[in-house]
Amino acid sequence: MESERDFAAYRERILNDMREGIHRSTCESADPIQVFMNQRRVGLLDRNGGESTLHVRSQARIESIQLRSEDGVLLGGLSAPEYGFRSSRISLMHTTVELDVHNTAQGGSVRAVCIPEPGFRYHSERERVGAVDRAAQHPVAFTGVGMRAIAFTQVLLAVMLVGLVVDRTTGWMTPVHSSLPVTQADAPWAAPFGEVAKLEEQLTELSRMQTKAVETIQTHQQGMAQLQQTMAKLSSTQEAVVSNVLNVKQRRKAAGRDDERITRMIMNITQREQEQLEAEIHSLTVANDRLSQEMADLEQDNQNLKKRLQSEGVGVSKSTALDREKLALAQKNEADQTRYAPPVAKTRAVSQQPLSEGTSLESIE
Amino acid sequence: MILGAQPIRGREQTMSERTATLGRLEQMVATAEEFDRVVSQALPILLDRAAGYTKRFLRETGQWTDDVAHEKFVLRWGAEYLEQFLVFGRSEVPCRPLFLLDSIVAKQHSRAEPFCYSSDLLTPLGRFIDGLVRRAAISRDALIALFHHCYGLGPGQVITVLRLNGSVSQRIYKNFQRWRGSGWKRTIESMDISETELQGLNEQQCYQRHQFNCDAERMLGLAQGHYRKSEPDHYPCLSRHQWKGMFQQGYGIEYRIWHLALCRDCLQTVWDLGFNGASDIEIPRVALQLQP
Repeated sequence: MESERDFAAYRERILNDMREGIHRSTCESADPIQVFMNQRRVGLLDRNGGESTLHVRSQARIESIQLRSEDGVLLGGLSAPEYGFRSSRISLMHTTVELDVHNTAQGGSVRAVCIPEPGFRYHSERERVGAVDRAAQHPVAFTGVGMRAIAFTQVLLAVMLVGLVVDRTTGWMTPVHSSLPVTQADAPWAAPFGEVAKLEEQLTELSRMQTKAVETIQTHQQGMAQLQQTMAKLSSTQEAVVSNVLNVKQRRKAAGRDDERITRMIMNITQREQEQLEAEIHSLTVANDRLSQEMADLEQDNQNLKKRLQSEGVGVSKSTALDREKLALAQKNEADQTRYAPPVAKTRAVSQQPLSEGTSLESIE
Repeated sequence: MILGAQPIRGREQTMSERTATLGRLEQMVATAEEFDRVVSQALPILLDRAAGYTKRFLRETGQWTDDVAHEKFVLRWGAEYLEQFLVFGRSEVPCRPLFLLDSIVAKQHSRAEPFCYSSDLLTPLGRFIDGLVRRAAISRDALIALFHHCYGLGPGQVITVLRLNGSVSQRIYKNFQRWRGSGWKRTIESMDISETELQGLNEQQCYQRHQFNCDAERMLGLAQGHYRKSEPDHYPCLSRHQWKGMFQQGYGIEYRIWHLALCRDCLQTVWDLGFNGASDIEIPRVALQLQP
């Protein structure tokens, strides 16, 4: 029985928590909001400054997005579609969170933007901006309220005036029986002079107030005219700034186009030169190859020639040595003959030229 | 069934009212406002329905036992599903609320591990640990408080261990403050831990400290393993070298906070690195703190 009561109390507590919803959170309005994707925490939305954005991509399909406070209370969320976009705008205390979910075949992405309420967020910024800017930001609201107040005052005054005039006119048009002595008790409707005087005073007061009101209205109108002038100036300045920005952009674009053209031209020239250079390099490479081939051939020829020269040089030296031996033998024989021959032969031998290297055997003989 | 919602429901609503409410829930709602209105009138019915599905799931998977602990367990998860239904339903209009709830619960139960179930986690100690870690998966206050409840670290020590600075440090103090103010109490209530049970746990901790902390460590591992899956996919366990690089170069503040609170092994690794005087503090061992 006790466990039943315990269970019932627990169930009731859970239901109460659920009814309280986001009010259970004890976080302050400036504390960050946690973003959960498919029940996994993916980031924070900061509420301290201005707008904050969180962009998350996922390989897997997104099923749900949850926003939770730092103490874990579920503030809001979005169930993602199986395919395509879904957006939601969740209003929290002093904040609105915009959720955009996109699911594709490749996965999903989510974009969460935290936008503080204007009053909450821009209070300090507005103080920095100036009166002109303020007026420019909310001209319609200001003018509307002012105009309504003025119109209301005018209507009120007009009604009061009409009332007074009707009252006076009625008094004047009513036949006055002055010949009859009328007392206050007999004619209760007849106003005494004192009251009339008071009424006149009130009327004077009213007219003074009206004058004041008219003056105030005029002042307001002047103020509004000034404000409008300022706004006009501001808008003209803004237009001028915008036109300047546009001019600058156009110039930049034109300059950009010129730059592009020049760059393209330079690139074309460079490309052409590069191509020429490549062609030249190619031809030079071919010529170089040819030359190296020729050089190799020449070297081969040279080698062959050297070999042949060497072989011929050996033959010549051998033949020269043989000639020398033959010459020495001949000289010996001649000397022998001179020793025993007649003087003519001796004379002929003296007239003989001396032998030198390279002298052929025939000439010696 | 020992306990059921039927007698309680009987007290709350007559049968005809219940049938009429169910009829309204089966009809199409066209706008978010209409959805809120219809659903807010039928919260008890919807809670019982979601809890009933969870009970059926436990029965079919052979995890059900007829006792109060299990009844409360299914009620907790029923409330979890119902909370999601209340939020997501607004973006699903036009829809039939009753069938939408059925589809949300079915989707959850089609997952591999829809909830962290263990008979150990249904004991007072288990509920305390499960409640803490489960809350930490969705609440930064509870996440930071885990450092205190598991290892007895204060805000200053948490800042030192995680090597935080500036505004992040301020947030740690704020998290602690909010947890002490309301978070802990709410978690204890949500896990239905009574004063008597807390007192019992205190006594157990005093007289059988070693056994108590051993049990706590085992259950903590179980709960952390389950709820760490709520981290982003890009927050896996890192190697010693990677942790060193992260701490030296000063990036990955959120990574450190979220992962280390839910992973004791990585916390040990970081502790061993001994950054910024962390080594001066005694190495973290599970020493459960029951109070905030």
